[in-house]
Amino acid sequence: MGDPMTKDLANRIETRFRDAAVHVDRNGPPTVFLDIERTGLRAAANALIAEGARYQVGVGYDNLARNGSFGLVHAFSFDRGGLLVCLRTSAPGSDPVFDSITPDIPNAGWSEREYIDLLGLRFAGHPKPKRLILADDWPAGIHPLRKDVPHDLVPPAAEDVAYRLDEAPPGTTTIPVGPFHPSLHEPAHFAVFVDGETIKGCDYRGFMTHRGIEKLCTTQVSYNEVPFIAERICGICGSVHATAYSQAIERAAGLAIPRRAEFIRTLMLEIERIHSHLLWLGVAGHLIGFDTVFMQAWRVRERIMWLCEKITGNRKTYGMILIGGVRRDIPPELAAEIRRTVDQVESELSVIRKAIEKDTAIHKRTKGVGTITRDETVLWSLVGPVARARGVDIDTRRDHPYAAYDEMEFEVPVLDGCDVWSTLVVRLLETFESIRIVRQVLDRMPAGAILAECADPIPPLRHAISAVEAPRGEAVHYVITGEENRPDRWRVRAPTYPNLQGVPLMLLDEQFADFPIILGSIDPCFSCTDRVAVVNARTGAASVMTKNELTALSRGRGWRP
Amino acid sequence: MSYALVLLNVLLFALLAPFFEGVIRRVTARVQSRKGPPLLQPYFDVLKLLGKENLDSAGTWPFRIAPVLALASVLAAVALLPLAGKPNALSARTDAISLVYLLTLGGVAVLLGALSSRNTYALIGASREMITMILIEPILAMVLLLGVLEARSLDLAAVLAARADAGWTVSTALMAAVSLLALQAFVARQPFDIPEAEVEILGGPMIEFGGPNLALFKSYSMIKQMFYAYLPVAVFVPLTGTGVFALDLAAQIAATGLVFVLIGLLASTNPRFRIDQAIRYYAVLVLVSFGAIGSALCGY
Repeated sequence: MGDPMTKDLANRIETRFRDAAVHVDRNGPPTVFLDIERTGLRAAANALIAEGARYQVGVGYDNLARNGSFGLVHAFSFDRGGLLVCLRTSAPGSDPVFDSITPDIPNAGWSEREYIDLLGLRFAGHPKPKRLILADDWPAGIHPLRKDVPHDLVPPAAEDVAYRLDEAPPGTTTIPVGPFHPSLHEPAHFAVFVDGETIKGCDYRGFMTHRGIEKLCTTQVSYNEVPFIAERICGICGSVHATAYSQAIERAAGLAIPRRAEFIRTLMLEIERIHSHLLWLGVAGHLIGFDTVFMQAWRVRERIMWLCEKITGNRKTYGMILIGGVRRDIPPELAAEIRRTVDQVESELSVIRKAIEKDTAIHKRTKGVGTITRDETVLWSLVGPVARARGVDIDTRRDHPYAAYDEMEFEVPVLDGCDVWSTLVVRLLETFESIRIVRQVLDRMPAGAILAECADPIPPLRHAISAVEAPRGEAVHYVITGEENRPDRWRVRAPTYPNLQGVPLMLLDEQFADFPIILGSIDPCFSCTDRVAVVNARTGAASVMTKNELTALSRGRGWRP
Repeated sequence: MSYALVLLNVLLFALLAPFFEGVIRRVTARVQSRKGPPLLQPYFDVLKLLGKENLDSAGTWPFRIAPVLALASVLAAVALLPLAGKPNALSARTDAISLVYLLTLGGVAVLLGALSSRNTYALIGASREMITMILIEPILAMVLLLGVLEARSLDLAAVLAARADAGWTVSTALMAAVSLLALQAFVARQPFDIPEAEVEILGGPMIEFGGPNLALFKSYSMIKQMFYAYLPVAVFVPLTGTGVFALDLAAQIAATGLVFVLIGLLASTNPRFRIDQAIRYYAVLVLVSFGAIGSALCGY
């Protein structure tokens, strides 16, 4: 904490939290852990927000076996001060009630609902304590993230249960978007309440592809295998999750990785961003019915995929990131190939950019669409291009540098159009910045090893937090180390998690025809949010339906088993 | 002989429409740096759909007859056309109003199918289709009305030929511009494929149809599309100079092919508009078409 601004901020926080136990972590971006009483949680969270903090994520964990309590962490980021603050508190297992901070910090809503479902915690004053993650037929009273629940538990399904949608506002009809719908590329269900074609509200029921990744990784595998599983949280920003997890473990272990490995991580993260933004541009074109943008953007994106196949052996899901470094080196001939490819991508993308910038028809479909104000964006703790398009100047790469970003020169494009068009421009500009970073990495990469061995066992019960700027915004991983050579708790918060919570606000009073592009403008990645909970909830008793039965059922003529 | 011409009309439109659909797909593919499907792909699509099970998902008679009604209406409409300026047995017994009536009936059949399918997306699509019809049909009527005013007759052959005889006046130029600007709306292509908007309402009115029923609707759309591509050729650049029927017809069909290339280019270089944006656009076109009629009445 050499920065005077950070020091000043840290002093103020220390003064405010004089009674709290303070632990400062300097492995990586400076992080302050404050252990407070649960009664002071809401006031403490509000004090941090008042100081200018942004809410990141809540982490609940089961500590019953150790001291009979549940732990809860609320993580905050001071983006201007380069400081991360984690408020840690706990409640006895017999009375697992915390004050909800959602009334003040709406983005904590999902984090808290998550632990109502998964740990059986309760949050006093939560405005919408509905089921969020667990399947509708998951029986009440079984909380899968508790340590005494086995990872492969298949309880009998609860009967006669269904998700109850929010009440539709009077005078509106409900249009179902999902669970499967062409404007969603993954299963999720939005019930959109419309008056004519004007959206008057919506309810979201997601978390439909439960893979139980967090539970799996804290019960079944060891530290070193998790990066590969983390990479599979998301098909687009895999390296982001693998890097964020590996950094958290390295911080907990106090492991410094070779500089060359940090450069290669930076390289992979930026190539991933170029890929992701090109992919998004194509999808956005498709969502407004402009398939030529789709095809042209993906033609350019194909070059990146060929390149990645040369670097890593895979078009996506690179498998490059390991705890302690990276798996493959970048030899000089490959570096030349990377340069050639980004040159081509840059010139081809410039052509597309010129075409898009002047296209008044695209302006018509994106300008003034999905508008929310800067204040609302800050209130809802939105991240990434969604926030930067609304005048919120945050970027983890610059604010909390990791890997080799401290050495990189790049602009963080921030616009104040507050609409879909601005998110498009932000992403386009960022792609060019990423190309700049790729060139700098290749210019400045030092020689040396690419992997550091972790000689000593990782001490248990250490807390570490790591944030990485994914193409869609900040991804946060929180790790508590365990005794059995695997994390005791691992919490993943992808950028879609906060941003999706802001979508209902963006949709309000917009046209239904704009629904796809407004949702698309956050570049939603439902798989990134669907990572928790336990795998299956079907009873063994369920019979297999025949084609005729399914046909009869789908035609509403009733199905009789 | 003139009954043979009726048959020729029906066959020409039914058989060539999928080919022109293929032209649009090819043009789109080229703009998108793709190779594109074979020109005959739309024929294969229709054939494949015809071989599938006919899903009757609504289970009501309007749902079942809608596709047949749509295709029958549009085939009847094209049967009336005096191709290459030559009246046939039907065009002599009908008039411009019959043509508008039959085309509207096709649209009504689509609405009937959509509304009877009781699907939320189909209902949204139907409401958009209805708005589009209300605003677009007057333009078609005005295009024909201009000919009616010139020919002082409702007879189709006279109406279609009237423009060419009158030469390029202010009203003709205005109406030609309106026809061109309304082209994409007539054929329901980008930026005006709003009633079907795949990513929002999954094909809208057509969503519940599959197999042969969908094949009928697809054929209906393709023939309707060919009619609207042929219409500006017949009205504004009839190319009937040689006096030999076969040559005149070939020239008209070739010109129609060029209109399809234009449709493909416009469709592949525009996003889809929202219905509220389209309404404003259509409203301007309707007003200009009224203006064209007004100037024709004043003798310009």
